[in-house]
Amino acid sequence: MVFQQLASGEPLVHNGTVHAPDIEMALLNGRDVFVRRPTAHALWVTPVECIFTRTREELADGRWLAGVQASSGAAEAWHVFGKLTQQGQLEQLGQVQAASAEEAMKLAIETYTQHEIWVWWVFPVAQTLSSQPEEAAALFSFSETHDFKNQAYYPVITLMREIRNKKQAGGKRG
Amino acid sequence: MDSKLNASLAEYLTALGDDELVLAQRDAEWCGHAPILEEDIAFANLAVDELGHARTWYELAAELLSEDRGRFPDHLAYFRDAAEWRCVQLVTLPRGDWAFTLLRRYFFDVLEVLRLEGLKSSGYAPLAEAAAKIYNEELYHVRHGKAWLPRLGRGTEESHARMQAALTQLWPYTAQMFLPLPGEAPLVAAGIAPETAGLEAGWWAAIEAALAAADLRAPEKFIPVTRPRSQQTEHLMGLLSEMQMLARANPQARW
Repeated sequence: MVFQQLASGEPLVHNGTVHAPDIEMALLNGRDVFVRRPTAHALWVTPVECIFTRTREELADGRWLAGVQASSGAAEAWHVFGKLTQQGQLEQLGQVQAASAEEAMKLAIETYTQHEIWVWWVFPVAQTLSSQPEEAAALFSFSETHDFKNQAYYPVITLMREIRNKKQAGGKRG
Repeated sequence: MDSKLNASLAEYLTALGDDELVLAQRDAEWCGHAPILEEDIAFANLAVDELGHARTWYELAAELLSEDRGRFPDHLAYFRDAAEWRCVQLVTLPRGDWAFTLLRRYFFDVLEVLRLEGLKSSGYAPLAEAAAKIYNEELYHVRHGKAWLPRLGRGTEESHARMQAALTQLWPYTAQMFLPLPGEAPLVAAGIAPETAGLEAGWWAAIEAALAAADLRAPEKFIPVTRPRSQQTEHLMGLLSEMQMLARANPQARW
């Protein structure tokens, strides 16, 4: 899973998924596939299998939450992401400390109560690879100058519409 | 700068641009054919980066020669015959397999980073500025190559064998990369460009470490290619005939 932060101070948002044999390659692939906008500040990747997820429907009757057992293991840090609107991307809410994915999910739901979340994701910080600030220039600086790598640079839809209009106009004349 | 130095720098920059453009063209041949979709996008990106670098060097050359900055790069790319190109042979070789492609790119990128480190402090300000921008992109290129090398070199028996074969095949062509570029001597004396021969030790140290990390061994016996950049081979001719075909058939073509 690939997450991108477009500017300092903004939450990271879920961009999509890349295939990769390991996490370092995933970060590089994530950069090449998803960093297209005029600016990018940071990129994170985590293996899909590390993500524990619950939806609003699954949580609706409260039974799952009631069944979460307190676990006795050592606590570790978990990233919490949530989908704030039905159509939107998941975005970063914060971190919790927990000994299991279930416990992290429960804590997240109890902590981030200010929004109505459609989908929750938690995943271990230790399983996440983040770009380092000192790598930012090498990873992202191209996105500011290489217009041709931005899909908005290619007005394909406008162009196709113009061609179609011309064709139609031509057809009428004939 | 005096006009003689201008001409030397234009010659030097054109050779740099030729290396970048021919490598871009070779690597772009992978577009749609790389091992997985993500790598296809990544690798096409790297090729496009090199294309951008070629344009940068050609534009700087255009200014030095009082040529039109907008049109001169196209003139250099599309309307020169093979004998007028000054790229190293390494970049002209047919693309081979994925191992060959990655290793060639890594050899080239490591040298480019070292050269750019020198060019960043060039006495010619527009060159220093351009070098600083390109440097960031090249750091990423090296990281990309460094990630792939050990994964293939220490991957499967087949990937290791292919990497070793690529190394054996490419190795003789690395010698030519350290010969002085056209126009280089007066530029080194004037503090405008680093001496290419002086980059070899740093290159070798980086490559030796990368090869060791990938369980690869450079061949001990080989015949180095040391012909001047002015002597091109049929590999370049084939590449140019494809790259230049449209522009030459229809010089007014726009896209």
